[in-house]
Amino acid sequence: MGRPRAFDEDEAVRAAVSLFGGRAYDGVSVDDLVTHLGVHRNSLYKTFGSKRGLYLIALRRHIDDDVRPLAEALTEAPDVAAVLRLVTSADLGLLLLAVVERAPVDEEAAAEVAGALAAVDRAIAGALGIPDDLAAALTAAALGILLRGDPDSVGDALAQLLDHLGRQGRPTWHRSA
Amino acid sequence: MAQVRIDGDDLVVVMEGLDRFWAQKSSLTIPMVNVRGATADPGMAAEPKGIRAPGTHLPGVITAGTFHLDGEKVFWNVKDPSKTVVVELADERYVRLVLQVKDPRATVALIENALS
Repeated sequence: MGRPRAFDEDEAVRAAVSLFGGRAYDGVSVDDLVTHLGVHRNSLYKTFGSKRGLYLIALRRHIDDDVRPLAEALTEAPDVAAVLRLVTSADLGLLLLAVVERAPVDEEAAAEVAGALAAVDRAIAGALGIPDDLAAALTAAALGILLRGDPDSVGDALAQLLDHLGRQGRPTWHRSA
Repeated sequence: MAQVRIDGDDLVVVMEGLDRFWAQKSSLTIPMVNVRGATADPGMAAEPKGIRAPGTHLPGVITAGTFHLDGEKVFWNVKDPSKTVVVELADERYVRLVLQVKDPRATVALIENALS
């Protein structure tokens, strides 16, 4: 019998998404979580089990709230430029940090990240009518542009190039045998 | 200081040296199904400890033994807060273990990897 929880779990998870997405997993201490989430330390452990437990819940929330809607929007993208615009304007901070920081050392985080990226790949493949591996390459390029922080010039240049290649029917559009 | 290892399906915590005396306990064996997670948490040492029974509490020196807080039992064995790991449990006599270990990061990885 412990003291009842006196915090909004939903709000706490949203705050955790923002905190982990801004500072990365290793950059967030339990002290940071207690301060920013407004959760008593013992309640945090009781509710989420561990910092990693909270992180995985936050990552899943980020995927549900930010990545899945992006994938849905991508299914309507008319061309490469629209794909790049949608991906580079999305809030994908926690996903990107998870890819480089947690996925290599945490199988559950890796599975969440892989599933989210696959959903984006499928949406792009369906929208543009291109093979899955080319869609994955386009996703990777778009995320790279997002990381570079220069979506307008780099994204436009890539979109023009890919649209040009697409119009020419170059073999790069097709899956290799 | 405590040694933490996974032995089959159990988490085994062994108190080292005089800590057996301070904590009034030499070891704990917890089925892994009752382990919810582990976190390196140096700030935990600043939290209220509750009432000790049995155990030792010399503020700033050592916290060891069974502590009762809000109707829950927490097991402590910490002298150096910087090396604190919190292990959250379910369906156990203790709701959590607060342990000083040699390498908190490695201990957390050991436990979390066994859980996933």
